[in-house]
Amino acid sequence: MKGILEKHYMTFISGIFFIFILAVTVLYFLFPLKYRWFVLFLASLVFYLSWGYETLPVVLACVILVYAAARRMETIYSRQDEQLKNEAMDAQQKKQRKLRAKKRCRTILSVTALLLIVILVYSKVGDVMLAGISRLTQGGMPRWLKVVVPLGISYYTFSMLSYLADVYWRKEKAEHNFLKFLLFVLFFPKILQGPISRHKTLAPQLNEGHAFDYTQFCFGLQLALWGYFKKLVIADRLSVFVDTVFTNCYEEKSSLIFVIAAMFGSIQLYCDFSGCMDMARGICQMLGIDLEKNFDHPFFARSAAEFWRRWHITLGTWFKDYVYMPLVISPKLMKLAQKAKKKFGSRAAKNVMAVIPLACVWVLTGLWHGTGPNYIAWGIYWGILIICSNIFAPEIKKITDFLKIDTKARSWHIFQMARTFLLFSFGRLLTMPGHLRTTWDILKKIAQKFDVWILFDQSLYNYGLNQKNFNLAMTGIFVLWCVSMLQEKGSVREMIARNNVVIRWGIYLIAFFSVIVFGMWGAGYSNTGFTYMNY
Amino acid sequence: MKEKVLEVLQSEYPEIDFLASEELVDDGILDSLTLTGIIAALSMEFDITIPYEEIIEENFNSVDGMAAMVERLS
Repeated sequence: MKGILEKHYMTFISGIFFIFILAVTVLYFLFPLKYRWFVLFLASLVFYLSWGYETLPVVLACVILVYAAARRMETIYSRQDEQLKNEAMDAQQKKQRKLRAKKRCRTILSVTALLLIVILVYSKVGDVMLAGISRLTQGGMPRWLKVVVPLGISYYTFSMLSYLADVYWRKEKAEHNFLKFLLFVLFFPKILQGPISRHKTLAPQLNEGHAFDYTQFCFGLQLALWGYFKKLVIADRLSVFVDTVFTNCYEEKSSLIFVIAAMFGSIQLYCDFSGCMDMARGICQMLGIDLEKNFDHPFFARSAAEFWRRWHITLGTWFKDYVYMPLVISPKLMKLAQKAKKKFGSRAAKNVMAVIPLACVWVLTGLWHGTGPNYIAWGIYWGILIICSNIFAPEIKKITDFLKIDTKARSWHIFQMARTFLLFSFGRLLTMPGHLRTTWDILKKIAQKFDVWILFDQSLYNYGLNQKNFNLAMTGIFVLWCVSMLQEKGSVREMIARNNVVIRWGIYLIAFFSVIVFGMWGAGYSNTGFTYMNY
Repeated sequence: MKEKVLEVLQSEYPEIDFLASEELVDDGILDSLTLTGIIAALSMEFDITIPYEEIIEENFNSVDGMAAMVERLS
């Protein structure tokens, strides 16, 4: 039974998905506008169930919990509004009534959020916990007791937490239709790797039927095709190289190979993750839905902070809105900032207000990516970079002024972009080898001997990619660079659309056959997964 | 109130032209770190507590928006 189910696991690059999306598209546009959301609901359910039935009760329990909690909060607020309108109350009584309602809603929010977080944490560390208990009880754990990890748990949990918080803060209304809420949570283009959608942005688009729009359909198809190119031609090819290098780090290898693999690992992760996002956004655009953008050419960023505003945008904005900002305005932090201002001046107060919430955000971001010490170190690494660039901004400006660096010059911009890329690649070195000890040994090796000869003696072709595949990967990266440069200037799809039919279709066909011919399809390559899928 | 708010903002961030746009947040002139500094400065200067419900783009997109918020919370 398990074997049968495994065959039907659907991702955007599994064969059955192409039949699935064709059927969904046809059905969506055949159904009356009013009921098109139901097609999406059924499609999302089928997509989710293709991953197995055992996790569905967990997801359903969470969705019911959040749905009921939001409805309850809305009822409390509505009653409060009615009472404030109807009853003769003085200002003090009104204030008391509001505080009471807020307190009740806060209890509901806290309990529900805590339960969701406990389930999320359990799904991340449950295996380690159960293994520990099993060791303590000398294998006395029942066999049926195993950790169930629902598909996309991090993404939908964060989406639901933001929904709950927004209902609590009265920034949005609770959803009344349970099936529509379930659709928002399980919506198939975003369940694999996000984006972490906000209910108020996505749900109205899902619930409202969209008429067929030829231009949007074609643009969506092109965006998805670009995503397939990034994933299958570049990311899956580079991952063979990166995996080969990092699978056995203690083998006799040149130290430079680790530097190259770290840089390839950065490009691979970008193409894998943003490729999947392009597919998701493209599929949505075909159906007339505008899914949130999750990437905005992060390697063009000039600083670490800007990089994280361009990379995994929805995770960054989530942390900003639901962790960073609430911490910034917390009375305790404000008191601390006031003390700092009195003692050390307003710059110290600003630093206190920025550093403490940033430190919390980056430790949590590290934990979101993984629970091992290497991920915590990775979070601290980025936290330190961003905090230092913030705290020492005036000094950095003084140094650049002193050195008479033209910070608006193109060459300075290129230097900053290269620096961002190297900083990210170094961060990848913290997580890719799997253990901090291995990372340390690799860094020592790099520092001791830096042998550039491997660039010229063809030994680069010994790491899973032969010369042909290596050159294809390089060509893919070059195409990615060119297209990204054009995308920074405007919509490439609109640029293509302005050309005559021969050039237009020439580009489409070249893109299509590039993916078919040069994509890493077929036996020997595992092209069924995405890197960020297990979060 | 607008003048007072502008004075505080300009003393904290002299490099930013707060009157250049009516969409300071949406135009990317104010990022989250700058917003943090502005929240700190306004809270301390006017002795107000800015609740989370007030941290919305409309309140920080312009000096007028910030002045209106400070007035409301004072």
